[in-house]
Amino acid sequence: MKTLITPNLLKFTLTTIILTIIFRLSLSTSITSKVIIAVILSAIIYSILMWFNGRYFGRKEYEYLPIYDIGFRFHLSTFLSHNVVSIFWFVFSFKSHYENIKIIYMTALIWSVFLIIHFIYFLSIRKSTIRNLDKEDLFE
Amino acid sequence: MTKDILPDLLSSWEETYKKGQLTLWIFLALKDGSKYVDEIKEFIERKSKNTISCEEQSLYRNLRKYKHIDIVSFAIKKGNKGPNRKYYFLTDMGTELLEKFIERNIKLFFSTEINNLLKK
Repeated sequence: MKTLITPNLLKFTLTTIILTIIFRLSLSTSITSKVIIAVILSAIIYSILMWFNGRYFGRKEYEYLPIYDIGFRFHLSTFLSHNVVSIFWFVFSFKSHYENIKIIYMTALIWSVFLIIHFIYFLSIRKSTIRNLDKEDLFE
Repeated sequence: MTKDILPDLLSSWEETYKKGQLTLWIFLALKDGSKYVDEIKEFIERKSKNTISCEEQSLYRNLRKYKHIDIVSFAIKKGNKGPNRKYYFLTDMGTELLEKFIERNIKLFFSTEINNLLKK
């Protein structure tokens, strides 16, 4: 388990938490101000930055030590970071008056279906590893 | 078909042939004695008569993987010049792995039959 939680994964998670806080802040502010374009832009910018975040740390992770399955570990980290930050956003009442926590739960529920599918894939490719390294990528 | 394409064919075949050889060369370098990355690189290039070239980054990446699966380890020692260095060496499992690999894949070429064919 220790080898699955790597420095790059931790840095990715920290960046995700920061980006999610910024996203929630801009989202709540935009909703409160009823500026629809700002709501859309917040979501687009957040998704683009998250893509770069995953690409940057995912690539670094692969180049340092290609521990399987980078994709699932980063996906799980994103799922947890995003939803925990979002729930705390409501718990501490930073939310906009118009936001409803049910949306967070619904998003998490739908997302968890995709996460489970990804987890099944993760387990299936686990068989082709030796000490968490892909057999086919072990020797060059 | 003309012989013009012979150099291209040779380099294409060599390119494919060399893939997968880096591990063997790294292991041979370490079988020769513990070494730090620059020495491994120098060993491989010299002993392979520059037919195998390797980037330091690629060596580090491979050594990290081998370390992770316990076929290579390192000890920090003072370098010939400059700072302390990681001297890599084969673990018992690494040595056994290399021996088995050589037995199954390299020694074939030393059999009389294949040797005679190569000399023909």
